[in-house]
Amino acid sequence: MLRRVLIALMAVLALLLQGCGGQEPSGQGQEELTLAAPRDLVAGPDDPYYLHQTLGVWEPLVTVDERLRPVPALATSWSAAEQGRRWTFTLREGVRFSDGTPLTAEAVVANVERFLRIAPRPSAFFSLDAGMEAAYGKPAGVRAEDGRVVFELKEPVADLPARLAGFFSMVQSPRAFDPSGGFAGKPVGTGPYTLVEWVKGQRAVLAANPHYRGTAPAYAKVVVRVIPDANARVAALRAGEVDGLIDKGALLPSQVPAIAADARFRVLRSPSVLTHYLTFNASRRPFSDARLREAADLAIDREAITRTLLAGTAAPGAGFLSPVFGDLADPGAATYSPERARRLVAEAGPPSAPATILISSAETGQFPYADIAEVLRTALEQAGIPAKVTVAEATKAVMEAGDYDVFLSAYSVPNADPDYLFRRFLRSDAAWNVERRLGYRSPAFDRLIDRAATETDPAGRRDLYHRAQRLLADDRPMIPLAYQDNPVVTTAQVAGAAQNVAYVVDLGRLAPAT
Amino acid sequence: MTTVLLRRGAELLFALLALSLLVFLLTALAPGDPAEELLRRGGVQPSPESVAALRAELGLDRPLFARYLGWLGDVLRGDLGRSYADRSPVAAEIARRLPATLHLAGVAALVAAGLAVLVSLATALRPRSRLARAVALAAVAVSGVPPYVVGILLISLVAVALRALPTGGADGPGAVVLPAVTLGLAGAATLLRLLRADLGHAVRTPFVRLATAKGLRRRRVVVVHALRVAAPNAVTAAGVMLAELVTGAVVVETLFSWPGVGQLAVTAIRQRDLPVVQAYVLVTATAAVLALALAELCVAACDPRARRR
Repeated sequence: MLRRVLIALMAVLALLLQGCGGQEPSGQGQEELTLAAPRDLVAGPDDPYYLHQTLGVWEPLVTVDERLRPVPALATSWSAAEQGRRWTFTLREGVRFSDGTPLTAEAVVANVERFLRIAPRPSAFFSLDAGMEAAYGKPAGVRAEDGRVVFELKEPVADLPARLAGFFSMVQSPRAFDPSGGFAGKPVGTGPYTLVEWVKGQRAVLAANPHYRGTAPAYAKVVVRVIPDANARVAALRAGEVDGLIDKGALLPSQVPAIAADARFRVLRSPSVLTHYLTFNASRRPFSDARLREAADLAIDREAITRTLLAGTAAPGAGFLSPVFGDLADPGAATYSPERARRLVAEAGPPSAPATILISSAETGQFPYADIAEVLRTALEQAGIPAKVTVAEATKAVMEAGDYDVFLSAYSVPNADPDYLFRRFLRSDAAWNVERRLGYRSPAFDRLIDRAATETDPAGRRDLYHRAQRLLADDRPMIPLAYQDNPVVTTAQVAGAAQNVAYVVDLGRLAPAT
Repeated sequence: MTTVLLRRGAELLFALLALSLLVFLLTALAPGDPAEELLRRGGVQPSPESVAALRAELGLDRPLFARYLGWLGDVLRGDLGRSYADRSPVAAEIARRLPATLHLAGVAALVAAGLAVLVSLATALRPRSRLARAVALAAVAVSGVPPYVVGILLISLVAVALRALPTGGADGPGAVVLPAVTLGLAGAATLLRLLRADLGHAVRTPFVRLATAKGLRRRRVVVVHALRVAAPNAVTAAGVMLAELVTGAVVVETLFSWPGVGQLAVTAIRQRDLPVVQAYVLVTATAAVLALALAELCVAACDPRARRR
């Protein structure tokens, strides 16, 4: 009997295995491409955008390049008038939505008005804040005029294209929306692909858009699978099930060296908008003392952290703004000098109670924050500041209780305007600054960023931002630890991968390698 | 048997009510503001006005007790609410994903129970067989390794090196094998040890010896007579294991991108999607309670003494 049971079991197993033995190698010069991402890049009809820009279904008016500069997408050019109170965008000609209707200025206006109507609205990508100030400033009206789109603003905005760049200037056919601002059906955009199938949490299937204005993409069909686990993603790549990994956090820093050394794969390390910062709690000792903040800054070996713990996927932090902000970023300089740190601590008097280094458990999965925090702890202790590491699930509650001294976390921006970072985090009345007890009050800093936000002369604005950053470099409410790259990978059979700083890979340019 | 059923039913209802209160309080009182977590999913900080507006929209500004009563009323009507994250009805999402989880748990239970029964029978039939002992030892050793590690090893060996099975996902009939084996191995060891020990005792009981003395074949004695006596402990353990398979598939489902409720829960917890987390805990805990009740009934059917207790 036992033998019979065994034989039956083997037979069942053999049958099961038979069905799945021969997976076809996907992609590889054929018309189909399979990619994987850590999260679902489609958010569904209740999301303000429906899906991520990287899927190439919709396009924005303005996008960013690999240096966070606003560059034309559906708008070919733009101009400012009345000191930044009126902005006019000229549209690309001959563009059609995937339903065949032409792109018009009226359609763009309908999209902007929809955003204003449905805000505030959470999104899986970039939430729409009440009033949409991060995107449009204080809008007085938006209208179509001779085929152009005109934004009228109550207060000047220095660089509206930079604010609009990316998600905030998404354009879809007005027919895609129902009267309440939700999606009536599938998204309808102007990009190289259309969404043909979506299995929530599992995969999105894209097909070439027949009405696309440019050359048709090399892959007629693209499948983007969702593989949340980082090790499983790389296993799927190595097993030949997927032809590439895209999106934010596609590869963990620790996975990059082995994949990059493998000739079967091409790793693209492009800079991202993500920056790791250390935020000080200056509303209590020890870091209410500026000398101890400086000592902490000097004690950190950023070079070692980026080279080893982040496996070379990040550059050491120096100026407050990441170099992706181009000439708006003040180069700055971070010095590593344990001796000076020790002298400063001795001078200020070494603190008795240990300082708390706080990290979020949500971030430890993507970056080796537990290890970095441990290195920071050692660095602080060697400088004479006793420290301990706390991992919290809900860092907001901990910070609002003031129960931390240094907070390690990564931040990005939703568009190409640095105003967002300064105003949301560090202005004297910023919620982040006030509620999380940063204790940073600087009227001089407030004045500088307020002037810069409305300064339309590029050189003048650059100068104001450089002065603001030098002020931050002296005051140290938050210090940059590292500027993070976002490595993505394809197999060697896929060519043309390019990624902008906002994790957008242009799928339309991917093609079989020749 | 009827009284057993009735009593168990009443206990079950009480357990489920207590469960609902626990589920609600634990998730609602957990630190972290769902409104803010949702708004900052793209990695950027929302404005305080937006957070306040969303809190009001989600009803998070209402008193806790009012929220519990409203939630319980909805749940009793079969409405598990809408996801904070994408506003889709939670009940539909759970119903869509539950078959995948049950499929995985079912196959994993087959792997675990099959392994345990076969190996313990083999050792009982041929106490000196080296193979059976080696398999038993290996099963116990593997169960000490976290399922995540076992899963990674299986993926690198079977999926990446041999390319025999897919690394994850749920396409094709073979996709279930690796996650089910990973899960099943974790559960097999307990069952195996219980069943082996009890079977060892059972073969030495007088009536089994009598059966042997009657001249029945050894195989029939062990498989038919001794196994039934040895089963109760292992069946209870199997009930616990089944409950663990349904609730504990979170890690394995995430690792293998298996589209079940465990994977849903991980995403929901990360973004403080309370309705989904609550529904997940409620549904899986109910399933666990039911699995245990079912195991108890099986024991009662197996062992007449249990019915009288």
